[in-house]
Parts: sequence; C-alpha cells; structure tokens
Amino acid sequence: MASQGLAYDGCNFFRQRLVLSTLSGKRVKISNIRSKDDNPGLRDFEASFIRLLDKVTNGSKIEINQTGTVLFYMPGLLHGGSVEHDCNMQRSVGYYLEALLMLAPFMKTSLKATLRGVTNDHTDPTIDMLKSTALPLMKKFGIDGEGFDLKVVKRGMAPGGGGEVFFSCPVRRTIRPVQLTDPGKIKRIRGVAYSVRVSPQMANRIVDSTRSVLNQFIPDIYIYTDHMKGANSGKSPGFGLTLVAETLNGSFLSAEMSSTPQGQGDPMLPEDLGRNCAKLLLEEVHRGGCVDSSNQSLTLLLMTLGQQDVSKVLLGPLSPYTIEFLRHIKDFFQIMFKIEVQKPSEDKRKGGDKVLMTCVGVGYSNINKTLK
Amino acid sequence: GDSGHCSEEDEEESDDGEEESEGESGEDDVAADAAMKEKIASEEEEEEEEEEEEEEVEEEEGGLKWKEGLQQKASDAFLRQQQAAPNLRKRVYGSVVEVDDSEDEEQELGGLFRVSRPQNSKKFQANAVDSSRFSPDASHNWELEEMLNSIRDCFVTGKWDESQDAA
Repeated sequence: MASQGLAYDGCNFFRQRLVLSTLSGKRVKISNIRSKDDNPGLRDFEASFIRLLDKVTNGSKIEINQTGTVLFYMPGLLHGGSVEHDCNMQRSVGYYLEALLMLAPFMKTSLKATLRGVTNDHTDPTIDMLKSTALPLMKKFGIDGEGFDLKVVKRGMAPGGGGEVFFSCPVRRTIRPVQLTDPGKIKRIRGVAYSVRVSPQMANRIVDSTRSVLNQFIPDIYIYTDHMKGANSGKSPGFGLTLVAETLNGSFLSAEMSSTPQGQGDPMLPEDLGRNCAKLLLEEVHRGGCVDSSNQSLTLLLMTLGQQDVSKVLLGPLSPYTIEFLRHIKDFFQIMFKIEVQKPSEDKRKGGDKVLMTCVGVGYSNINKTLK
Repeated sequence: GDSGHCSEEDEEESDDGEEESEGESGEDDVAADAAMKEKIASEEEEEEEEEEEEEEVEEEEGGLKWKEGLQQKASDAFLRQQQAAPNLRKRVYGSVVEVDDSEDEEQELGGLFRVSRPQNSKKFQANAVDSSRFSPDASHNWELEEMLNSIRDCFVTGKWDESQDAA
C-alpha cells in the first residue's frame, strides 16, 4: 500500500470508494475486480461512472489494466459546471446520481447535470425517490438556495431507457452540523404513481390498491398520477410507484417499486405492485429514524464533512451498504462514529430498534469554491 | 542544659508511650485475630452444615430438581444474552471479514490447475452488486394485525406522549 493511497479488493462499493477518494484527495487502488468471473474486469456501467467522474473533476488520473481487473484512481479537483452524460443502460440514472449528490455541494462552480438513461428500475433508487427524500435532507445541512433542483424531463423505463434527468446544485463552502434526534409522527403520505407506454389506467389501479393498505393508518394520503406520453415516455413500457411518508419534524421515509422490465421475468399486476409497495413503506416506518434506509450513507457523509461540531442523527437499523460506508469513512477521513442502540419502550408502538449516530465533523471546507 | 535534659526525658517518655501503645495495639490485634479466626471457623462450620443440608435436600428430591425455576433460568439466560449482544460499534469498526485467496491455493489438482469455487459462504462479498438498497426483513409479515399494531404510534393518528399535544 502506498503511503497516501488506499487499496481495496473487488468491485463492490465501487462508487463510495471513488467518491470518498475524490473528496479526501487520497489515491485509491482497487484490484481483483471480478477476477474469478467468466467475464472479468469492470463492467460498462462502471466505466460509464468513471467517465462521469472524469467530467466533473479536473486533473483526475485513472489507470486501468488490460483486463480491467485493477483500477488506480488519483483524484483531481472537483470542477462542476454544465455536464451532459449518457449513462449506461445496465444501471439506472439513480446509480450515478447517488454519487453526484455526494459530490455536488463541493464543486468549484455549481453543477448543472443532464443525465440520460434509465430513470426507474429495480436495483437503484429512482429519481422520484431521490427528489422527494435526498433533496429535503440536504437542505437540512444548509445545502439550499436557488438552483437546487432535480427533475425528470423524460421518463425511461428499463431496459430500453430513453429518459432524461436534470440536476442542479449550488456549492457550499461549509456544511452545517445537524441534530436530528426526533423524527416526530407521520402526518401525511404522498406519492407518485407513474406509467409510460401502458394504459394511463394502470396508475389509477396502483393508487387504489395502495390506499387500501395505508388508509388503516392515516387518512391524509395523496398519490399523484404521472403519465408521460410521446417523446417523453422513453423506449420501454412500464409503471411504478414511489411513496413518501412525511413527519411533523420534516423527516421523510420512502419506499418504491417498479414493474418488471419488459421481457425479464413474470409481469406484475398494478394492484400487487401497489399493495407490496405500501408494505415496503410500512417496513420503512418500522425501521424508522429521521432518515430512510437509502439515504443513510449520504447523511453520514454530510455529518462527517460538517464543521467541527457535534452532529447527531437517529437512524433505523444500519444497512450493509451503510456499514461498509462507515468503514470507508474511517479509512479516508479517520472519523469514527459513536453508535448507540436505542430500544423503544414496550408500551410504545413505534417499530424496531433505532441507532443514534454521533460524530464531530472534520471541518471540511470546500477549497474548490470560487470566492466572489 | 535544662532544656536539653527536659527534651531527652520527653523523648524517653514519648518513646515509652509509643512502645506501650504499640504493645497494647499488638495485644489487641492478636485478640482480634483470634476472634476473627474463631468467627471464620464457626462460619465455615455453619456453611459446611448448610451445604450438607442442601445436599441432603437434593438427594431427597432426586433428578426433578433441575425443573425448578425453569422460567427464571430462561429469563436470566435471555437477559445475559441481551447484555452480551455484540456491541454495534465493534461490529462496524471491528474485524472485517476479508476475502483471502489462500484457501484456493491449497486446493490444487495435479499442481497445475486450481479449483475455483464461488465465494457464497463469505460474509463480505467483494464482487457483489453495488447497490444502496436495503432489502426488507423477510420475517415481517405485514398482513398480520400484530405487525400493523407495532407501528401505530408512528402516525399522528396513534397515541401521543403526555408531554406532547396533537394540536
């Protein structure tokens, strides 16, 4: 291992390693990438991610060996500005956007990214979900103001894609520390039921079945139906649902589900999709906390990079992805969180165990940002 | 002259006093030790007697003794396990199970070919899918009323703490 560089094995947690490397300025070497696979080396979507990273930075040095099993990355400065990128169809735009959300506040000039590809699929958080949960979360850390926006211009379902997403984010010099220890009670549930290249009635069928499950908890439910037509509807048919539960203290818990991609597996009825998605939301409520499971790592990163003050956030159970993220934060920033398990008292019906995460920020300041 | 003599006498007197006091304390110690020994001896005897009594009781009741207080034992064991539950911080920052290739090297066929086995058993999947999605707990069945009831107070329609008010 080089004196400043870090070495890892395997392609898992690829994005968090490269993102943390870019933010900390530490070099990283990843070896044994699918070295025992029949098709060894980096996949196209990972190569596409590296290209995106190259577009938003200035002076990054990337070396990949001939088989693609070893990657060496020396990060440059985060530049930002207007970026256009055609994302690989193997993963949805959410895969790329999750990393951009982590990097965007620390750019030299504010990022205006246009990403094209699959907007909604199974494996990654969809754009609708990131819009309704990640953006309000980042606002709590002081990343706010004009031009903080994420929108679906064209919707593209897997596998054909053809969607387009616009993301813009202002830059910040420092990140505000937060104290999110009480999520508060859920006051309303909102959602988006989307459908493209299928009957618009599909969205209504999703809404009805979702309501049948969630109405036993709360009456304030509104699910928008979003049916995109013509050029805005992408290349593949499909439908899906994103649900967001909003609490009194402004926390957002979300769940989502999309239809099986055309030609892959059994087709799904919109009624089943609605019911199952509602159950996923209940599961998320059971996990609880001030941040939902898909945004845990973004929260922990912003806490780490905050000013030198204490940040506290109550989370649900830590996901395997988040646990690995914590280990990586320790490697790159030498920050270890205080992790306390909070068991709910027996007379309260508030779901499972919660975890209180506490840390002191590294006092990261955005040296890339231009002074005006 | 006088003062010096006086001081010597004082010293002698004080010395004597000290010796006397030491002697007294020594005697006291001896006496105390003796008393303690007696006490301990008597306690030991008592304990021995008690143990004998207990043994007798056990012998009388035979093999059915273990069934007594099963519930208490079970709850004690449960609490012990709860307390010994691995510290989350240790699990996160402690030892990471890393993939080592040493195992594969041992499994050589004819010294030339290696047997490559899928690493399904490994906790840490180095080449798994890189996704932030957290799959739900399969043991939760959201059809059951019991499960639904476990989260009722997360909603504004649920029961409120006395300190809080819905208004």
